Amino acid sequence: MAMSAEEIREKIKRSIASITYIDPAKIDDSASYKDDLAIDSLSILEIVVDVEYQFQIRVPEEELSAIRTVSDTVNTVQKYLCAEVV
Amino acid sequence: MQTRVVVSGIGTVTSIGTGCEPFWNNLLAGRCGIAPVGSFDTSSYSVHRGAEVKDFDGKAYVSKLDCDSIGRASQFAIAAARLALADANLDLSMLDPERVGVTIGTTSGEPQMIERFDDAAESGALNTVGPEFMRFYPCHVIAAHVASELDLEGINVTIPAACAAGNYAIAHAFDVLRSGRSDLMLAGGSDSFSRITYTGFARLGAIAPEVCQPFDRNRKGMVPGEGAGILVLEPLERAIARGARIYAEVAGYGLSCDAHHMTAAHPLGPARAMEKALEETCTKPEQISYISAHGTGTPTNDLIETIAVKRVFKDAAYRTPISSIKSMLGHTMGAASAIEAAVCALAIFHSRVPPTMNLQEPDPECDLDYVPNRSREHEVNIAMNNAYAFGGNNASLILRKIEA
Amino acid sequence: MARRVFITGAGVISSLGDSPAKLHTALCEGRAGLRQIELFSTEGLGCHLGGEIASFSPNNYLGERNFRPLDRTSQLVAATAQMALDDSGWTVEMRSQNEVGLVLGTMFCSVHTISQFDRRALVAGPAYASPMDFSNTVINAAAGQTAIWHNLRGVNSTIAAGSVSGLQAIIYATELIRTGRAKAILAGGADELCFESFYGFNRAELLCGSNHSPGDFPIPFDQKRNGFALGEGAALLMLEDAESAAERGAHVLAEISGQGSGFDPSRGADRRKSIATIARAIRLALDDAHVKADEVDCLSMSANGSVQADRNEAEAAALVFGARAGTIPVTAIKSMLGETLGASGAMQTISLVEAVRDRTLPGINRLDTVEENFPLAKASPEKQKLDLSNGLINSIGFDGGCCSMVLTSCA
Repeated sequence: MAMSAEEIREKIKRSIASITYIDPAKIDDSASYKDDLAIDSLSILEIVVDVEYQFQIRVPEEELSAIRTVSDTVNTVQKYLCAEVV
Repeated sequence: MQTRVVVSGIGTVTSIGTGCEPFWNNLLAGRCGIAPVGSFDTSSYSVHRGAEVKDFDGKAYVSKLDCDSIGRASQFAIAAARLALADANLDLSMLDPERVGVTIGTTSGEPQMIERFDDAAESGALNTVGPEFMRFYPCHVIAAHVASELDLEGINVTIPAACAAGNYAIAHAFDVLRSGRSDLMLAGGSDSFSRITYTGFARLGAIAPEVCQPFDRNRKGMVPGEGAGILVLEPLERAIARGARIYAEVAGYGLSCDAHHMTAAHPLGPARAMEKALEETCTKPEQISYISAHGTGTPTNDLIETIAVKRVFKDAAYRTPISSIKSMLGHTMGAASAIEAAVCALAIFHSRVPPTMNLQEPDPECDLDYVPNRSREHEVNIAMNNAYAFGGNNASLILRKIEA
Repeated sequence: MARRVFITGAGVISSLGDSPAKLHTALCEGRAGLRQIELFSTEGLGCHLGGEIASFSPNNYLGERNFRPLDRTSQLVAATAQMALDDSGWTVEMRSQNEVGLVLGTMFCSVHTISQFDRRALVAGPAYASPMDFSNTVINAAAGQTAIWHNLRGVNSTIAAGSVSGLQAIIYATELIRTGRAKAILAGGADELCFESFYGFNRAELLCGSNHSPGDFPIPFDQKRNGFALGEGAALLMLEDAESAAERGAHVLAEISGQGSGFDPSRGADRRKSIATIARAIRLALDDAHVKADEVDCLSMSANGSVQADRNEAEAAALVFGARAGTIPVTAIKSMLGETLGASGAMQTISLVEAVRDRTLPGINRLDTVEENFPLAKASPEKQKLDLSNGLINSIGFDGGCCSMVLTSCA
């Protein structure tokens, strides 16, 4: 079952909100977790793991550090969701 | 006149040797205890290696308590305590038990007990968890079991200050002896291999796939281990009076708290702990002959630690050998700084410093003398033992040679 | 020359209120904070009663901030620390210029977090374990989190000594100040009520009601007692070097004048050894305080309704105080708070500080009939009016550890 990019984005923002208390409405898709949203490395890792868990995907360790924004996260989820289906 | 506190016995349980002498010899020879994890299935993990203690027979050391009931960290602690007492040539019956205390540091306590609880809960068999859970799980049982096994009635405290716990326990024992409340203290740390700990560090991406290579340019992380280290600490006059062999004096310590981040280090806190230790012991940085590093092998720790040492030691940092035995033992958690304190005492006594193994390619940002790959003869008059923990708990201990 | 140690502030979150004054009022009114547990299901267990904190919300104490990185135990400690810091007048600015320490006693810290972390990894696989929860699985997590929250850069330590942890932590901090290693330390303890520890105590048949005897309430010293009730909470006191406290014009609540501790290697199996160990800790504390037995005005007992332990403590007191044991006012606040484990010794300290202020000692809730030959004749369900100069606090563990502390009024 394909999820739309929009649905994926909303789910990711809810995950970020639950971990950082940042209002989802205030999260810009291109905002950097670290520089713009001031999210520390442990919280970023928590977000990534939570996203993996929510979507039941596994992102290879070497790709984790490339996930810097919501858009990066959406793209990664889409990539590995398709991979799961295939 | 302040009471002076000395180390007169050492007991260790490690992946490279149980007992002071085998351990020290293997350490100097650069033996490594890291191997594939055997105590649980790591097939669903991305890493598979650890530094477990192999072929440990608790029954060789635990006689009064029921060895099968008490946890592994308690068994290690009892074994290390008995070994330390034998090493100190000390007959406990000659001492007033009310004035012999125990302080032990730990990170996880007895994790197998909660792991068994969780296994049972997940398989719908919680009713198989009996009264033993409450009796043997809470982490204070480690110090309690040592005292119970050896019939000791003095001060009894477990200090779960994570990866700096050993130093904390030794520091507290030092204070207790100086206060005159005890005549002898068994102090150190113990931790057993833990699925929970392994899972956590693996999830943080902190575990190296193959070897632990502190300060190396290509270092990839720490390797979880297990073990125990216990020191016999007593007032100098008492040690002399009974003709004890004295390894070294515990001169003092410094504690600090980063108050910065739970898992990420910051150089100011570690620097402050070192400064406090130096201040208290009236030691100048250039008088330190050897530093036992925290040196976990993670990219961050080793860099931050190097920065902190340079901050405190300035130019002298380049003339002070500093090595990490975690390169051989992995990270034994609460036991680590206790084992490292023992190593400092041994280094002072034997005028030899252990190596940092697996240092193949120096990191330009870590450019101190880490005693790469081979132990060396080196007169150690004053040694510093550094440890840094989750929660920003930093502890530096200073040991000194006793004049003949 | 040992420095003197004063208490200059306190904070507490308990099932009977979130301030020392509220706690004291409730205790003096004989209100118990023990009710049907709601935090988790007690179905199938013999005991259903606990000293649960009613609806704890960290925002109420710490403002609107992100608490996700802190688990419940850490939140309780951070919130309590805020209150103790406010009460003692240690402002944000002062903390940025001076090192304030934190020594926390705890039996479990967050066994609930540890278990949840482990269980998620078991079910979903280790790749889905929560990194944030992992940082709360170390037993010094609450102390670390609280230091970060309040910029406490002095000595930071965690003491684990079972239910004796809180008083042991206060003693540890006291000694650091006496020897000049620190000038100001927040010290006390915390433990939260959770399924894992509740299940464990119930399974060990230590809780009132869990061994299928009648009687749902913990009644220290009563002949009907059959166990303790599990409580929870956090309690912290600001301990300060007397001279520094005077220099900054701090208000002083009481002085910690002496301490003593010991260990019973039989871990309770040998009654005589248990009693002798408790008596020794009391004597050591009195000697340390230079307070004679007949100068002690009241006893804050550790008794929590445990059949054997309560009796051991009473007999130890009789050994130390002799004939006078029957005339000294006695209280046992675990009758109303339940056994709060790591927090208990600190809660007893706060309760005694309030008793000094208010000149009223809480009664022992529901105490009806004591056993034969019970030495402490002044144990009563009724509160007592008294002028307190020196009070003794006992903290006795389930399995060997014990310590005592003398609190002296500064009035």
